[in-house]
Amino acid sequence: MTDIDFEAQVYSVHDIMNCEVCHLKELEVEEHSEIREVLRCILHTIVFHRALGLVRPKDKDSELFEITYVQCEDSELEKKIEEKIDLFIFWVEKHPNKKSQVCLSFYEVKNNKATWFTNKTERLYWEQWYINLNITKHPKAHRRKSHHSEVIIGPGDCVMEEKSGRQAALETSLHEVLFQIIKFVNEKRDHIPPVPNVEGVSFPYEITIPSSSDSTFGMDMFKRMLQTGHPTMLS
Amino acid sequence: MALQGSSQSESGRHEQIISQFLLKSLHIILDSRIPSLSRHDLSGELTPVSRVRKSDKWFNLVLGERPASLEDLNFWHRNVMDPMIIDVILVHEGPSSSATDDLYTTSGVGVPVETVIERWVVQYEPSGTVPPQQVEAPASYKKMYQKAIVLLRSLYSIMRLLPAYRIFKQLSSLNQTYNFDLIYKVSSFGELLSRAEEKVMKQYSFAPVEAPSGRLSISLTYQPTLSGFNLAPSTPVPPNIITDYVGSPAADPLKVFPCTDKGIPATSFSFRRIHSPTSVPFQRPHSWSSGIHRVAPFKQNHPLCGSPPAHHTPPVPCHSSSPPDIYGYRIQGYRPPSHKKGISFDEHQLSPPFLPSPSPSPPTYFSSGNPFRTAQGTETAPVSIPLPNMGRNSRYTIPNSSDPNRHSLPPMSPRSTRLDLSSQESPSSGSRSFRKTDALRSGELSGFAQLYSGQKIFKDSKDDSGRFSGIVSSSGSPRVGFSRSSSRLSFQDDLDDCDFSYPFVVDDVDTSDSQTSRTPEGKEASESTSQAFPSARKSQDAAVGVLVHMLRTAPPLRQDYSCYSSQTSKSEFEGEVGSGSGFCVPRKTTDALEELKSYREMKDLLLSQSGTRVIKKEEAKPTAFVG
Repeated sequence: MTDIDFEAQVYSVHDIMNCEVCHLKELEVEEHSEIREVLRCILHTIVFHRALGLVRPKDKDSELFEITYVQCEDSELEKKIEEKIDLFIFWVEKHPNKKSQVCLSFYEVKNNKATWFTNKTERLYWEQWYINLNITKHPKAHRRKSHHSEVIIGPGDCVMEEKSGRQAALETSLHEVLFQIIKFVNEKRDHIPPVPNVEGVSFPYEITIPSSSDSTFGMDMFKRMLQTGHPTMLS
Repeated sequence: MALQGSSQSESGRHEQIISQFLLKSLHIILDSRIPSLSRHDLSGELTPVSRVRKSDKWFNLVLGERPASLEDLNFWHRNVMDPMIIDVILVHEGPSSSATDDLYTTSGVGVPVETVIERWVVQYEPSGTVPPQQVEAPASYKKMYQKAIVLLRSLYSIMRLLPAYRIFKQLSSLNQTYNFDLIYKVSSFGELLSRAEEKVMKQYSFAPVEAPSGRLSISLTYQPTLSGFNLAPSTPVPPNIITDYVGSPAADPLKVFPCTDKGIPATSFSFRRIHSPTSVPFQRPHSWSSGIHRVAPFKQNHPLCGSPPAHHTPPVPCHSSSPPDIYGYRIQGYRPPSHKKGISFDEHQLSPPFLPSPSPSPPTYFSSGNPFRTAQGTETAPVSIPLPNMGRNSRYTIPNSSDPNRHSLPPMSPRSTRLDLSSQESPSSGSRSFRKTDALRSGELSGFAQLYSGQKIFKDSKDDSGRFSGIVSSSGSPRVGFSRSSSRLSFQDDLDDCDFSYPFVVDDVDTSDSQTSRTPEGKEASESTSQAFPSARKSQDAAVGVLVHMLRTAPPLRQDYSCYSSQTSKSEFEGEVGSGSGFCVPRKTTDALEELKSYREMKDLLLSQSGTRVIKKEEAKPTAFVG
């Protein structure tokens, strides 16, 4: 509840900052493998469209879905994404049945003049992507753990059918999300900073996951706003 | 001036970006749809991004080597103002037609159908007016370029999200063949899609990239689902190893191959040149198709070979090879087995090819008159002329039934005896003065056999004066033997070439004794010779003189050894007539020498006889007086 309200505020703030924000369609995921694959697809696709340096595209077939997404040939990027996904799944295990977000942000680094209250390098976010996930735990899933043997003998087939149906729906939704990304990427191009003559990822990025406590997610966003040094917030 | 220069450079840059944009987008599309053009970096070892070619760095998207076809397309697409329309066409099986249409089908396979599943339109749309910002933004091409980078990334991504990509992935698999294929067509104008296609297809457009005096745009019309097409793995035809192909040593060269009806695809390559049903004729200047650019998904383990369309059964792996001509020479009239089913192998029924191995049995040729039959413009097997027992003692005997070749020989006639003698003389003289003849004259070889057999009856002059005279007077050029060919023309050529006057009379009396299987050509030949030499009787002295002339003009025996052809083994008479004096049979040298001796003896005998008669008469008179 509070998250949603806060999001709305954040959205409006970032609009003023000329930061393009994209809220992707919510995806219902259940299992960790699904979460991992969904996040991989989306994060790599977004980065591929925003890593405007010299890149050799690498096709990657999803392990779970019949989807092929594109990665940049950047081992560091891949490693960073995997780490964040692991952290997110760890968090999901602690907070089941929650809607959560993963945020991918692109920013510019500006060396601010050292002021009296901050001398950090300033990050100017110019684009943010919110990956909305509705993580649900199927009631039968619990039963699967506790009454392991029963599920296998009894309604095992039924569970599998449901799972495959759900995954098919998830795959369709993921497809739509990827199309959404492509559309947004092309429609919003004017705000992109000049591309430096680099290889691979050309702009610094940040992947933000919910922290361990519920309330800290909003705080993380607030902290980001402080870092950007928005005059309205500071005042 | 500087402004003009900068504006010119700007416009040049813009045009360059537009041109490269078109090429890059084409590369992306084809790389993701046409298996034969896509790069397969299976090695896993790619050159570092920093080391790629400059041409591949455009728009910061490294795609790898451009296929040659794309280079040609680039050359073709010079006018950047023309839209580039890329059709991705699915070749699949249509509904099976009537049972009679079996040319390309094996087991209920349908007629190939081409359906446009994607149509990409990449173009630079010039605007009517030049925006005023252009003058103010000299580096506007940089902005345009950056946006084009993003657009091309999107294009690359979406290529993998569309339904056609799954088909492409299947076709790219080397482990399986399918009954469908993807081809492309690039043109500067779009053929109208069929109504059925338009109904089901969806539109998608990318946000255009604003450029000075225009904009770059990519739009797509595509089939949202391909489930309605019959796309399935094809059942591969197991490789059929033909062990008895023509030319195989195991094969009977005279074997007639029946029309095969196995799953060999027909016109697979000709079909490839057929473009989409609504496509542009191939000769249009601004159209390019992938009729020959397809990879072989149907061909197992042969990804780089041109392949037939998917709807055909995979080709027999040996389609590209023809039976080796192990004998090292072209079998006249022979063609490698075609993969067009319509062609019957009956067409390949030839007269027996000219093979080094002898024909089945030498007598066969004579009994059936084959030499004349085979002399029909094709090479023939070497004729094995049965040489009767050429022992000295048997030389003067009549060819009797013990002669294994007797039955195969046509009856002796003066003409034939003449031929026999001529052929005899050539070996005896140590050479074959036969002129080189073509295959047409292979039938003449039968005459040589007759010549040989005529030797046996050489002595039997009394019984058959015709024959004897023929023998004696057969000192003419051995070319006469060629006159027995079935071809009058060659015979006339012989006449023209040799200036001798044929001394012998051609006698048709003995033709009645010939085998029933003798061909009429032989008779014609004999008749022709008879017509050519109506009156050839000469005195015995003249005949002897001719004989001597032959012996003198014949090359020495020793040369014959070097000219011996290794191709014939069993035949006593070489089927291949060498040129002039280069023809010999070493093993018959002794016989030739014997013949020479016999001739000399004959000559001496004749001379002595004529001399003794005179002497005897003279002697007789006095004795009678004395008496």
